[in-house]
Amino acid sequence: MALLEIKHVFKFFGGLAALSDVVCSAEQGKILGLIGPNGSGKTTLFNCITGYYPPSKGEVVFKGQRINGLQPDRVCKLGMARTWQKVRPLAKLTVLDNVMVGALARTNSLKVAREAAMEQLKMVRMERKAHYLAGSLSIGERKKLEVARVLATQAELLLLDEVMGGLNTVESEEIIQLILDIKKRGLTQMVIEHDMKAIMRISDRIVVLNSGEKLAEGSPQQVVENPAVVTAYLGDANVA
Amino acid sequence: MTGACHLKALGPKVLSSLRGSPGRWWLVIAVVVAALLAFPQTMSSPYGLHLMILLFLSVAMGESWNVIGGYCGQYSVGHAAYFGVGSYATLMLLQYKHVAPWWGVWAALVAALVVSLLIGTICFRLRGPYFVLASIAVAEIIRLIVLNWKPFTNGAEGILLADIPALKLGDRVITDWLSKTPFYYLGLALALTTLLVNYLVQHSKLGYYLQAIREDQDAAHSLGINLSLYKNVALAISALFTALSGIFYGLYIGFIDPPSVLGVDLSVQMVLICIIGGIGTNFGPVVGALVLVPLSEALRANILTKLLFAAGVVKESSAVGGFLKENLAHAHVLIYGILVVVVILFMPDGVLGFTKKLVARGARQLSAAPQPLVGGLRGPTGD
Amino acid sequence: MRVFLQSAASGILIGGVYALVGIGLTIIYGVMRVINFAHGELLMVGMYLTWIIFTWLGVDPIVSVALVIPLTFLFGAFLQKSLINRVLNALPQNQILLTIGLGLIISNVVMLIFTSDYKIITTSYSSSTLNFAGLRLSTPLAISLAITSAITTILYLFLLKTDTGQAIRATAQDRDAAQLMGINVKRMSVLAFGIGTALAGTAGALVSPTYYIFPQVGGAFTLKAFVIVVLGGMGSVVGATLGGIVIGVTESLAAVYISSGMKEVFVYVLFLLVLLFKPSGLLGRSRM
Repeated sequence: MALLEIKHVFKFFGGLAALSDVVCSAEQGKILGLIGPNGSGKTTLFNCITGYYPPSKGEVVFKGQRINGLQPDRVCKLGMARTWQKVRPLAKLTVLDNVMVGALARTNSLKVAREAAMEQLKMVRMERKAHYLAGSLSIGERKKLEVARVLATQAELLLLDEVMGGLNTVESEEIIQLILDIKKRGLTQMVIEHDMKAIMRISDRIVVLNSGEKLAEGSPQQVVENPAVVTAYLGDANVA
Repeated sequence: MTGACHLKALGPKVLSSLRGSPGRWWLVIAVVVAALLAFPQTMSSPYGLHLMILLFLSVAMGESWNVIGGYCGQYSVGHAAYFGVGSYATLMLLQYKHVAPWWGVWAALVAALVVSLLIGTICFRLRGPYFVLASIAVAEIIRLIVLNWKPFTNGAEGILLADIPALKLGDRVITDWLSKTPFYYLGLALALTTLLVNYLVQHSKLGYYLQAIREDQDAAHSLGINLSLYKNVALAISALFTALSGIFYGLYIGFIDPPSVLGVDLSVQMVLICIIGGIGTNFGPVVGALVLVPLSEALRANILTKLLFAAGVVKESSAVGGFLKENLAHAHVLIYGILVVVVILFMPDGVLGFTKKLVARGARQLSAAPQPLVGGLRGPTGD
Repeated sequence: MRVFLQSAASGILIGGVYALVGIGLTIIYGVMRVINFAHGELLMVGMYLTWIIFTWLGVDPIVSVALVIPLTFLFGAFLQKSLINRVLNALPQNQILLTIGLGLIISNVVMLIFTSDYKIITTSYSSSTLNFAGLRLSTPLAISLAITSAITTILYLFLLKTDTGQAIRATAQDRDAAQLMGINVKRMSVLAFGIGTALAGTAGALVSPTYYIFPQVGGAFTLKAFVIVVLGGMGSVVGATLGGIVIGVTESLAAVYISSGMKEVFVYVLFLLVLLFKPSGLLGRSRM
């Protein structure tokens, strides 16, 4: 069942077509990988889906409902949440407070929100840092914080934007395990990533964007062997 | 350990013992409030009461601004609009229509609410500096309208209150408003209420959402926070209590005119009270008021000049002495300017934040083990 | 119709002065991204300087512009180095508060020195008028328009043709890239603030024959300057020039057709409308 359908979405900025006739969908409970060179429109697609700005043309359908033009807070309440390529911690609040802000999307009680937040912090293994200021965290911890925050909103679809960017091997491995754990919970994920090894491991399907257009789509193996993808993005050497 | 080390060790110990037990904080507050309640019985000088009333007024103004400026991060430098609308509405009703202030206040609050919703709808679409500019422009528009609408507001001459009707419960007169004491208690009630409102906001979902908006508006939006709803709620709360402060001021002083209740200087003063103490904290405005009120009164009453003469630093008969005596009284606005500059440059977290840093630094110097980065310290990225 | 043309013409004259003020503010914002709330006070300083030169040296205000420009430039450079420089990387809100505080300091120091008494400069031509195409134009304002045009042209040529001018524009476009290209961006900031101050001070000198001079006179100019800058696009010199004229004419027409006391209200309402519907300015540009 397609949880999210992107139907012929275009996005123009002045004369520039940042997205051009993009069609894809995210299946419930699965992980959709989104890859492509820098500037190919991946984050723009996320922004259009989540309501940061509306698509110029086309439809975004979530859980059977057309969500074009809905404000980001409405989209979140409907069950979709995203992390940011350039992390956005709420710096002067503590780690726990940050996640509580996410949890408060589903409850008005601070007590309930606090418990839910601690649970998510345990899931990303950051409960020891609950009372640290978010602004004092390292980049890896900030990325985990963002994931905990979106999990706390009880989102059914998580949009993860380069959540492994800037991390070392150990930290990346942690995130990969986290993504797989989230999948075990039954949640759907759409992951933008440049780390090909990671994307190959976690994705059920991959969509490749290039200059705003969909270049290819398929299983990880199909995509990696696609000659157009190799030319545009992967390079001629074999990527194992 | 040396004496200085002992003192430095005391700070964190006191703080952590207080922090660890909310019960002790409430005890401290109860004692302070009891002392404040008893104060007028012990103080015979009306000037002492006057000083405290000014203090309460400043606390109320600061705490009100704090909700939208400190917690929500929207720096309105046009808050005099609500102060003035509140005081003008109430005093006009009282002076021209003989409506008692305890009824007039409701009309004034509705007016302030309407103005705040209008301003919010217009201005909250704007970010950062544009919002500041728009807030100033709106306040100036209101001031100019009041200034020029002579038949309605008496224009530049202002409104001089004849008297306030006695407050009666049935047949019993509670107060006839002729001494400062009723204003003292009213002011105390206002200040305590705004402190309570701040506390309630901070420890509620509203508080979390407002601070999220302050920290990162787009992130907050994507986490399910309806930006315009929450910003407007914060502004409405802030506007209501600022209007109440204006009403209190008008009744107490008995005279209002456009510069005194609608001027940019007043708006700047409200912001100043908060940033001096520590923006976005519950007690910051109290600290700010405790700094600003004595300082500006000391200047006004030439106390500073007299001190300089008494200390022999300046001779009263000298040219400098004469100059100081003539002019320092008018310099309290100059002091505001200097304070703003000093605080922004050297203490952007205000006195409270500065003290927290000192105390935390003292604690760190004493213990060998690395301290967790909790409290008022900055992260590695310096944000 | 004649009334309309007359008041529009007066508006253009005063608009020229407003343009100077606006250009100064927009250069400061363009290069330093600082919102200078003390700008009106800088103009006021120019007015008082002119008054001092007039009263003690007997020099005509228009002529004293030659002195006011370098003096106010140095004052601005000093302010930048000692104060503004420290908040270049602070939150915009803190920058605004700092410049507000600076403005308060400047106006109150002037008040302490000169008292709040209104001062006036009366020259032989203060109230005389010129006849131009059947319209009466205030002579001092007409002269100031001529001077303003000259200064604006020189400034524009400076920014376009000289190395320093281009360095300033580069810093305004992208501070980091300019620095990587070897431009001393700190010095560009000092220059920008100095130029901005000099322009404001000159505007003060030019209007001093026609305005009352008192310490608080700067306040109204500051907000108007912002309206002009937003109208023309933050950072655009051409925009500020046109914005100044637009505001001058709007104000003049409002004063004649509605009421003198409310003329500023129209300027501020126009400001809010622009902020809401076309925040990048009427010209739609936000760069130099």
